[in-house]
This record gives sequence, C-alpha cells and structure tokens, in this order.
Amino acid sequence: MAADDARGGSAVDGSAVDGTDATVDGPPAEGALFDPEVARNPQPAYKAMRDVAPVLQVADSGPLGGVIVGKHDDVVAGLRTPDVFSSGFEAVRIGQVRPLIPLQIDPPDHHAYRKLLDPLFSPRRVAALEPRVRELARTLVDAVVDDGACNFNAAFADPYPSTVFLELLGLPVSRAREFVGFKDGIIRPPATTAEQREAMVNETGRQIYAVLEEVVDARAREPRDDFISGFLTSEIDGRRLSREDVIDICYLFFLAGLDTVAASLDCMLAFLARNPGHRRQIVDDPGLIPNAVEEMLRWETPVPGVVRRATRDTVVSGCPVRAGKQVVMLLASANTDEAFWERAHEVDFTREVVKHLAFGGGVHRCLGSHLARLELRVALEEWHARIPDYALAPGTVLEYSPGLRQIEHLPLVWSPGTEGEMSETETTTETTTETTTGAGTA
Amino acid sequence: MRIALDRTRCTGHGRCYTVAPAVFDADDDGYGVVRDADVPPGDEPAARRGAANCPEDAISLEE
Repeated sequence: MAADDARGGSAVDGSAVDGTDATVDGPPAEGALFDPEVARNPQPAYKAMRDVAPVLQVADSGPLGGVIVGKHDDVVAGLRTPDVFSSGFEAVRIGQVRPLIPLQIDPPDHHAYRKLLDPLFSPRRVAALEPRVRELARTLVDAVVDDGACNFNAAFADPYPSTVFLELLGLPVSRAREFVGFKDGIIRPPATTAEQREAMVNETGRQIYAVLEEVVDARAREPRDDFISGFLTSEIDGRRLSREDVIDICYLFFLAGLDTVAASLDCMLAFLARNPGHRRQIVDDPGLIPNAVEEMLRWETPVPGVVRRATRDTVVSGCPVRAGKQVVMLLASANTDEAFWERAHEVDFTREVVKHLAFGGGVHRCLGSHLARLELRVALEEWHARIPDYALAPGTVLEYSPGLRQIEHLPLVWSPGTEGEMSETETTTETTTETTTGAGTA
Repeated sequence: MRIALDRTRCTGHGRCYTVAPAVFDADDDGYGVVRDADVPPGDEPAARRGAANCPEDAISLEE
C-alpha cells in the first residue's frame, strides 16, 4: 500500500551493519538506492546490495538510524514476526497524527480491524465491481485511442484507480484532482530538505484530515451506500467505531487507494512498451494476463519496500539490528533474489510459481490486493484489445519516483487505426533487452 | 495425497485458489480453504501448484 512507502531511509551510507564499518565500493553508495538511475533500473542495484550487505545501514528521519533488509528469506521472516518488527505509529511518518488503521496497529488488536475490513476487499466482493471498472477503462481508452499518443500516467494510470476508489469510499469524485494533489503532497512533496519535507507532509496531512472530517460528518448526518457510511455503523468487539477510527481508516485508504495501482500501471505499460515480445504474448493470448500481472508485480515491485521498527535488539543475516531502528523490508530486492528465485532476473509470463511479495506479507498483507489485481487485469485487457502495439515516444528518458515507482511522464505512441503495424524495432533511449537478459547478474 | 492449509499462517493473498481453484476455495474474508483434504489423483498437480505459490508457506502436502 502507498502508506507502506519505503522512503524512510534517504541516504545510504554504504556501511554494512556487521560492526566492521566496512565501506562498500561501488553501488550502493551514498543515496544510491534512491537515485533516479536506480529507480529506473533497480534490479542490478538490489543485487549489488545483497552481495555486499544483506543488511544495509542508512540514515533515518528518526534519531536512531535505519537499515535496509534485502534478502528474500530475511524479508519474509521479518514480515512474519510483527512482535519484533513493528508496523506501529513510529514505523513511518506520513502526516498522520494517530496510527493509521489497520497498517499501524500491531497484533493482537490488528486482527479485529482486519476481520472488519477483509470482507470488503475479498475477491468475491471486488468481483462485483468489475463491470464498473471495465466501463471506466474503456472510457479512458476511448478518449485517446484515435490520438495515437498520450501521457499514459495522466490519461489512464492516475484517473482510473482514483475514480474506482473514490466512488467506493464515498468521497466526491468531482474533487479527484484535489485529492490526487494531497496524495502527491504526502508521497512526493517538492521539498529539498528533510525539515521542509516534514513540514509539507504535515501540512498536507492536515488538509487530508480536514476533508475526511467534513465527509465523515456529512455521512453521519446523511448515510449513503458507501464505505464511509458503512464504517460509521460498524462494530469491533461490540464497540461502535469512533469518528476518529473511521477517519484513521480512510486516511490510510486515501493514500493507498489513489497511488499504488497508478504506479503499478505505469511500471507495467513502461515494461510492455520496452519489451514487444512480452507484449505480443498477452495480445495473442489475453488469458495470460493474470499471470503476466503477477510476474510484472514481482519484477517491477511498484511499492519497493515497507517500513517497520525493531522492538528489541535482534539479528538479521548475522547483522545486529538494535531496538528502535527503522527497518525497510525491501520487497523489490526479495522479489529478485537469485538465492530464492529460479531465473530471478528473467521475466517469464508463463512462470508456474510466482509467490512474490509485491503486496507485502504477514498480517499486513495489502488489504486492497484483490481490488488491485482486478484493476490491473482489466486495464491490461482493455488497453491491449484496442491498442496492442505501442512504444515509448522516441527520446523518452523515464523518470520513476523512487519511493513509489510512479512515472509522471510516460509518453506512449501508436498508429491509430492500424493495429499491429508498428515496428517492433522501434528504438528509444531505453533498451528493450535489459529486463530479459539478466543485466547485471552475469 | 492429503493437503492441509494452516489458518494461522494464511494472510489471504489468494494465490492458492487463484492458481488451483479445483483444490482451494476462498472464504468470505478472502482467505484460503481446502475443498477436500484428500486430493483426487487428477488434482494433484494443481494442489502442488497451489501450495508452491503460497507466499506464507501455509500449505502442506502429504504425498
């Protein structure tokens, strides 16, 4: 989820956390994991990090510093031990003044909230949304199909999940642009210093609370058929959810629902634009799309990491991690760890086993994962049925935002009305082979 | 073949019933359930695939 954003650490200092203070040459160096080139092509950098430091010391917004955990088995173990790696209020600060529900509630209290929320996002419940989701996808494709070009992020990736989610939650879709601005203010504030960033995030947080308070109070007076109205009459262990509980759920949804699917779609369309062979596979056999979604979630991991905080001194891969440390579980690295995956650096849409961690793992597994999967599948089906052949606009250099891999400027071009005629050798500044040949893994 | 799903480990990723719907189902919360602990011979490959795709390693097989 967006709220599980990995940007807790911002400056990698390159020393392994093994007490030797060994300086690491080459990547990852200062800031390496968060620089634009790594965001564009992260898998080799993650491999380099795993090779030199299974646990990497980084600067942290808090006083105690943080670490990045990058090996698959360590990430899995960490996600499964919430008593040691807490996801509580202090794990990550994104403008909230109270713990976000359910992300920042640790077990055992966490269970009751998930028991309330899980059914709302179960595969059966989200399946009922498919006709509306498909209608929306078609409308957005209709708007650009004859143009032969669009900025995919602005034309599709941003409005599509935002509209689905605002409708579901019961927030006014007419204010979608304003809400997307709030979300961006939390996730990628245009700040140059840490202090500035914190001030901007907190100010945006205040604006989000103000909107949510306004809508929650309106639904309390006049209920509608939406999530917020439903939450207001929900009970946990015989206790009615408070106004603050409802707002704390919505704050998390607000960040998670507006951004993560958009980032995932950006990553997937950018991948498919650069890899025509893979694209042709799903065009020729749309039945392959669900598996292609899983494999691209693994490979791209649009939410690269989730943040925890150590509750006590512990050891990860032989490295001491002290109580209070912020711990980034680098899902993206785990998802391409060759110690776990066969052909880790090969993208294969027919892979039989794809037990990736793109939605996290353990008790905080992304609540919206089934909705996300539905949206991703339908988007890829509808887009490729109408626009099967496309490429990045010539000269494009993709800029992925580092914490959550959105591509704000994703210019795609295609030949309107001449499906399938675009050359597969269309050249751009991005190579089309790097993702399939195991670049950097030798 | 017998199959078991550990409810204390399952966190509802839904991979099992997605890749092997003949063997696994979803409950109302979206968590996995085993349709029949005794897997018919024809469904054994599906059962293995469902187990192998569980991100929480919650499914065990007894051949």
